Amino acid sequence: MPLTMTDPILVPPLKVVVADDDALQRAHASALLRKLGYDPYEAEDGAAALDLVRQLGARILLCDLNMPGLDGHELARSVREDKTDHYVHIIMVTSQSQSAERERALEAGVDDFMAKPLDRASLTARIRSADRLLRHEMLLAERNRVLAEAKEQIEADLRAAANAQRRMLPAPEARVGDCSFHSAFMPSNILSGDMFAYYQVAPGYIGFYAIDVAGHGVHASLLSVALGHLLTAEYFRRRAFDDTGAPNPAALVATLNERFFRQDSTEYFTMFCGILEQKSGRLHYCQAGAPSPVAIGPTGVTRQIGDGGFPVALLDMATFENRCDQLDSGETLVVYSDGATEAESLTGEAFGEARFRGVLEEAATRPGTIPGKMVEALTRWRNGRTLQDDLTILVCERTQQNDQVSR
Amino acid sequence: MIKFHGDAADGLGIVEPGTDRLTAANATSFKDDVLGLIEAGTSRLVIDLSKVDFVDSSGIGALVGLLKRIGHRGEIVVSGLSDNVSQMFRITRMDRVFSSYDTAEAALRALRENA
Repeated sequence: MPLTMTDPILVPPLKVVVADDDALQRAHASALLRKLGYDPYEAEDGAAALDLVRQLGARILLCDLNMPGLDGHELARSVREDKTDHYVHIIMVTSQSQSAERERALEAGVDDFMAKPLDRASLTARIRSADRLLRHEMLLAERNRVLAEAKEQIEADLRAAANAQRRMLPAPEARVGDCSFHSAFMPSNILSGDMFAYYQVAPGYIGFYAIDVAGHGVHASLLSVALGHLLTAEYFRRRAFDDTGAPNPAALVATLNERFFRQDSTEYFTMFCGILEQKSGRLHYCQAGAPSPVAIGPTGVTRQIGDGGFPVALLDMATFENRCDQLDSGETLVVYSDGATEAESLTGEAFGEARFRGVLEEAATRPGTIPGKMVEALTRWRNGRTLQDDLTILVCERTQQNDQVSR
Repeated sequence: MIKFHGDAADGLGIVEPGTDRLTAANATSFKDDVLGLIEAGTSRLVIDLSKVDFVDSSGIGALVGLLKRIGHRGEIVVSGLSDNVSQMFRITRMDRVFSSYDTAEAALRALRENA
């Protein structure tokens, strides 16, 4: 509900504390304030005034300069030192001869001055002015509270959506057939435009994909979640094999291109879609605009898989190719989103492919540690700042016969 | 933000994004600015990326969005691709979608000859 400056705020009259050691002056000021519709509280010295201001949450303090104990300056300074969430407007009463004291008083935190003797017209003008300012502040505070509440609600909704998104992902560690999968998934801001999955799609075939919707945030996450729901093992089975039962991941990608392309939109995504033949280790894949995955042997030698391909849903004329490679026992395939290589340091330098491969080479003998090591390296590279883009690291480790899963 | 050199008479022009990074942060405003030029009558455009050293997926989306909008009524080519940007164009096959020239001048000449 938006608040405007003209919205009235229903608040009781502001509380005013009158501090003066002279009982007559106090009574005079209180009488004037009562006529203006305020409810004044009297204090006979600075310390009593400070207590009253604190206890009552008073918004206006009318104080004499000369008082025993805490004088006007000290009282103003003490009020200012209280870190309350509301402002106390301080008006100091001085005699004509004390005009030199005013600069000091301003520094102590006094807002306005009145000369003795107090007259009704000038007190009225000053109190009304203070009242205007304070009500304006209260309006802003109320507006701030409404905004903070709305922000909290939105963030709670986003976190709930992010939890739902995370629940769609496969377990960070899982074994499918003779492969161990390890993964990291980090949204740049609560929700992610990335999505991935892996599953046994047919006897002897493991299917997997990683998707990165262009851009990031809520908008990108809506599409990534829609894709996550669509791309089930069953969908893979129906779309990623041809009539003879041979793997055809490009057919699946082409179907997605047709389904999600829109002439009037630039929303698109990149994808790596793979099918691994268990017996032979043959990897059938379609690379659709995604970074080329990296294969690592147990000795740490890396090689790039694929050299590119059209992204999905960007162009209706795009064609998609099936490619083949080999992932032998003991080899590991690392699929990732560009949030890894494009992550920038404080000086704006990209993490880059060389550093990315460096991390892989170091972790080659323990592929299960790759996602964690990569996140660590990127966090160091970013000096602890959150990533600018969503990150996915999906590691497919083809374990050797009778071999234990590396951790 | 964009810089434009050209005149409406022949509908030819060179656009510089006016930034060294075409990313999610500015891709939409870049696209909207260039769409303004297209609507004002520039139908054959060189997008000169010689001062751009990074284009992300949103930047690619903006370039293709322009291409979609101009359709068969005009042409968009690119020039001055750095190694980094070339690599992005290769991996996303944009090198098959956009004709690319070493310099904006060469691109402009080619557009004139094609006319």
